[in-house]
Amino acid sequence: MDLIFTNLVNGLMLGALYAIVSVGLTLVFGIVKVINFAHGEFLMVAMFLVFFATAYFGVHPYVTLVVVLPLIFGLGMLVQRVLIEPLQDSDEHIMIFATVGLSIAMINLMLMLFGPDIYSTPSSGLRTVVDMGPAMFLTGQLNILIAAIALVGGIHLFLTRTQLGRAIRATGQNRAAAQLMGINVSWVYMVTFGIGVSCVGLAAVLIAPLYPTSPEVGQYFVLLSFVVVVMGGLGSISGALLAAMIIGIVDAFAGFYLGANVKDLVVFGIFLLVLIFRPQGLFGGARNMSHVS
Amino acid sequence: MTMQKKLARALLPAAFAVAASTSVISTASADEVKFGALYPLSGPLALLGEESFRGLEIAVEEINANGGVQGMQIVLEGGDAVDQNQAIGEARRLISRENVEAIFGTYASSRSIAASQVTELAGVPYFELGAVAHEITNRGFENMYRTNPTARHMARTHIDMILEAVAPALGRDAADLRIGIIHEDSNYGSSVASFQELYGEEAGLNIVMVEGYPATNVDMSSIVLRLRERDVDIVMQTSYQDDSILFLRQANERGFEPSAIIGGGGGYSMMPTAEAVGFDVIEGVLNADFTQYAVNEGFAVGVDEFVEAYRAKYGSDPRSGHSLNNYAGAKIVLEALDQVEGFTPETIREALMAVDIPAGTTAVGYGAKFAENGQNDAAFMMGMQWRDGELITVYPPDAAVADLEL
Amino acid sequence: MSSNQTSPTTPAVLRFFGVDNSADKRGALYIFVLLAALLVTPIVVGNDFVYHVFITICLFAGLSTAWNIVGGYAGQLSLGHAMYYGIGAYTGMILVNAGITPWIGMFVGAAVSAVVAALIAYPCFRLKGPFYALASIAFLEVFHVLAIEMKWLTGGATGKMIPLQVGWEWMIFQDRLPSLLIAFGMLCFVLAIAQVIRHRRMGFYLIATRERESAAKAAGIPTVKVRIYAAAMSGALVSMLGTFHAMYLTFIEPDSAFDLIFSIQIVLFALVGGIGTVFGPLLGAILLVPITEISRGLLGASALGLHGFVYGVILMLVVVFMPDGVVSLLPKRARKALDPEQFDDTTGQPIGDTELDAPQLDPIQTKARPPLGDEVLKVDDLVKNFGGLKVTQHVNISLRQGEVLGIIGPNGAGKTTLFNMLSGFLEADSGSVVVMGPDGKPHTPKGVADFVSLGVGRTFQIVQPFAAMTVEENIMVGAFYHHPDVDSARRVAGEIATELGLGRFLHEEAKNLPIGGLKRLEVARVMAMRPRILLLDEVMAGINPSDLVEAIRLIKAIRDTGVSIIAIEHVMRAIMDLSDRVIVINSGAVISEGDPESVVRDEAVIEAYLGKEAGNAEA
Repeated sequence: MDLIFTNLVNGLMLGALYAIVSVGLTLVFGIVKVINFAHGEFLMVAMFLVFFATAYFGVHPYVTLVVVLPLIFGLGMLVQRVLIEPLQDSDEHIMIFATVGLSIAMINLMLMLFGPDIYSTPSSGLRTVVDMGPAMFLTGQLNILIAAIALVGGIHLFLTRTQLGRAIRATGQNRAAAQLMGINVSWVYMVTFGIGVSCVGLAAVLIAPLYPTSPEVGQYFVLLSFVVVVMGGLGSISGALLAAMIIGIVDAFAGFYLGANVKDLVVFGIFLLVLIFRPQGLFGGARNMSHVS
Repeated sequence: MTMQKKLARALLPAAFAVAASTSVISTASADEVKFGALYPLSGPLALLGEESFRGLEIAVEEINANGGVQGMQIVLEGGDAVDQNQAIGEARRLISRENVEAIFGTYASSRSIAASQVTELAGVPYFELGAVAHEITNRGFENMYRTNPTARHMARTHIDMILEAVAPALGRDAADLRIGIIHEDSNYGSSVASFQELYGEEAGLNIVMVEGYPATNVDMSSIVLRLRERDVDIVMQTSYQDDSILFLRQANERGFEPSAIIGGGGGYSMMPTAEAVGFDVIEGVLNADFTQYAVNEGFAVGVDEFVEAYRAKYGSDPRSGHSLNNYAGAKIVLEALDQVEGFTPETIREALMAVDIPAGTTAVGYGAKFAENGQNDAAFMMGMQWRDGELITVYPPDAAVADLEL
Repeated sequence: MSSNQTSPTTPAVLRFFGVDNSADKRGALYIFVLLAALLVTPIVVGNDFVYHVFITICLFAGLSTAWNIVGGYAGQLSLGHAMYYGIGAYTGMILVNAGITPWIGMFVGAAVSAVVAALIAYPCFRLKGPFYALASIAFLEVFHVLAIEMKWLTGGATGKMIPLQVGWEWMIFQDRLPSLLIAFGMLCFVLAIAQVIRHRRMGFYLIATRERESAAKAAGIPTVKVRIYAAAMSGALVSMLGTFHAMYLTFIEPDSAFDLIFSIQIVLFALVGGIGTVFGPLLGAILLVPITEISRGLLGASALGLHGFVYGVILMLVVVFMPDGVVSLLPKRARKALDPEQFDDTTGQPIGDTELDAPQLDPIQTKARPPLGDEVLKVDDLVKNFGGLKVTQHVNISLRQGEVLGIIGPNGAGKTTLFNMLSGFLEADSGSVVVMGPDGKPHTPKGVADFVSLGVGRTFQIVQPFAAMTVEENIMVGAFYHHPDVDSARRVAGEIATELGLGRFLHEEAKNLPIGGLKRLEVARVMAMRPRILLLDEVMAGINPSDLVEAIRLIKAIRDTGVSIIAIEHVMRAIMDLSDRVIVINSGAVISEGDPESVVRDEAVIEAYLGKEAGNAEA
């Protein structure tokens, strides 16, 4: 019983980690209709920013948010403007290659600049263990869980309650109609993409004190993000949160009972089953089926 | 390598048509002998590939300064083994275009295996100075030699260390200790782990868990939980850097405190790992790896001179033990070649088979005696321990600068 | 008449490969010279390293060409093709270790890969673009883990080696020439297959399915089957090259055999050369492999990651500035020669350069109308609900041979839904659709393919041209249903195009046609299938009044050949003129039925629909 509880808590913490990385991905997909294969690399770049900002200003990693967020937001807008927007109307494969190319270029650029070494952001007390009997976790992990839930709630409020949020949703639902209503679609896309990667900016600030940063680090997270996003239903932000929790718990239990290597088979197996049998995601009806014919 | 040479090499594929007509295939002049140096110099393995190459370079300079081999100066022709296909391509270039007498290399096991299949077919000797995969010298090749200890030797050191040093230090019978083996699941971790299992069982150790995991894992708490559930006393982890850090941290945070953690090279030998997990956490953690620099100089004869030569040439301290091992291995080979006439595969084999260097006389400490399969059977790995933020040699006792303490 | 007509002097061998006109012949010559250079250069230079570079070019060109069958023709972007490469490599290795020559292992691996590809393609055929790519990546990861875990078979993470037995039997050589010959031979083999597939019915079917799946289904294409076929063929070819490369490397391990980056590289060559073109991948490999070698030499050793960075940047630049690949940069003549399908043979101009004249229909000769025949279609008590929405309520229809039945009703009345059930695109909740077969027996077809096989053809309200194909090719897709070979399909397409006044646009890309032309193209494509029952969904909408007269005459002409027609129309003039009977549908139910004049006078109809619509129609 204790073991089940321990694994459950481990799974929730892991799920929170996947959730906070995935939210931006699903937002960008839902609105801009782009699967951003370079999503993990934005996380990586943001984690480097956190590392250097922490080292340079000598502040708590969480404080670097004020620097990281605007920078990564700007980077996201730039990528949308320069790379994604010109391709908006081209074939799907073109968009895939564009973001795959961006991903390869970003990894290798960081490799050139900083080498393959790892950079450890000081944990600044975030690795303090909270001991609750059989369940143990770090304060930093708890913060991720709280932040993930807050982020999902915040984005939901933003999309439903603000003028800009409504414009974003309108554009996501029908680009042409939004244009007719006088919405500057190009601007909305830039903002959305910026917000999407800002989500990983926030994730980076929370993750960097817990995980070492290296050019490859984005790759560790991104495949699971795809799993989470597809499972949660494309473009569904609350779906992503739920799916991330499920994947986290599956991950923890499969890792414990089946072994670390086999758990990948389980996770990818689930992913493929969802893609094939419930491409609209586990929750909700046929809300967004634009990816299947 | 001069810029011109680099450029010439780079433009080669484009210029081959021209090259053919002018026949610029370079041959070493009468008082020079040419060897290939095949390392991953770009791509993800470049850092340690280059570090390895520096060891070879220093050895060659030293030998050349002392009159060369058989009175001839050594010329090194570099090759970049960035992946398997490229390793093969570069090996072919070195053999056919550069007409090298032999190839030195390679640091990365998979590149070594691929490239040496080519050299074996061409009947060109291949000297491996740093790759650890057991298979490299286990293929019935005629012209394959390896000076460095392998995955097998690493596991041997792990098990010997448990039997002779760890168990006594804990005041327990080795057979009573519950042993857990975890490893990253590529070639490196898997092969070390399989030898740990083999030797451990031979020695009557109680191995309660063996588990592989992908090195890209972002969470090891389930592994830590499994180890704890099985009451593991000694954990052996063969890993790269990220997974070493992840495991050490999560084990510590989850209050999992085995009597000993023994790492297998990779992340455990690197200072950034210790910095990342904290010196207090890594204190007392054991490790087996190539000979490093905190070693008894009476046993590793010439290690200080090597470090000096390295500083003089590259302006920094060596970044890892790879350069030292390549240096020592290259010297063993080149000094042996000086004892014979010519560089035919037969005379090279004759020269290598005649080598018999006792332990405690080389810069790496281990000696040299080549078996029929070309492996240096006198090689072994050192046991080390993190103490006060430093990785010091503690095993075997001859090479140790301090006793193993737990 | 088009010069695409087979010239009698073309040798049968060339014609087999789709080379059947002068432009094709010129293209074949270019390709021949290019391939010859690929083989001869290393032999002349005689350097082992040069051999290696050219072997690598052949290998990647082959892999990329094979990928293109599924990634280009079928439009399914697999980023997991290293999977088949790995299967081929491992199968070859395992069998060699068991004493079986790779020449056999190659085909065993290909068979395994074909089966795996088919098993993957079947459940994944619905996935589009990025989702197919994600699924293929996930499958690749699964195979990677399996290769590591199944130690007894694969040797686990350590990988697998082969004993160095030299000779043709074992595909291992001291010389490099035999390896080059094998790699080159395999490249030619793959190119030949790619060329044959592209220029036969299969190629048309794959591209039609990629462009418009529902239109492809309506044209009688077994869309799932052709995709599975493409996946299996592509997987098998990649697998064979994998076996060869494993013998060349003599050593493989899971990390290099099932590598995502390797998969991306395969795709990159096709992208740079030109996706979907037969020889684009070859051009891509010829260009990129040497550039890769040069940049590696120039940049690689000096800066870690620079080489990969350049790679990523090239990828981005290509998609932004040259999304159609290098092929699109070639001078027109060369481009035309390399991919003649894209060009109008008569002028040698790229399509789109010619001005579009207003389409004109040739006058149609009407025969005497034959008497109405027996009942060919019977719809009995058909019901369909979407959730709580009743879109079809107890509809009964009867259609006789040679009859024209008009269906009218306001927007949203459920007319198109009814058509979807009459053509198999939608299954009814209850009730039946019975079609008299050519054998004179009643059938209850299920699914589009069944309906098509009974001779039910349809058009779509929203036109569904295969945009990347020419008008001729669009019609050919329909013609293939009864004429599997390209030549006769082309002939039939030409005849039908002329009949429908599309003759002058034969070599125009469909996307360049005006809306009236597209409507006509819909009809032409379905007529090429020689339907017995024709379902026309608003083919008159949006065409100008003078064309309307011709269109009505055309449909009458079709009717007079004995075809039964059901037409959904809003254009009242056409309905009144054409229909023998009219059905009025409102809110999913038939509210009136009878001859046009009596329906128009029906109070219920006027109230529900004609009251406002009739005025509009006259306007």
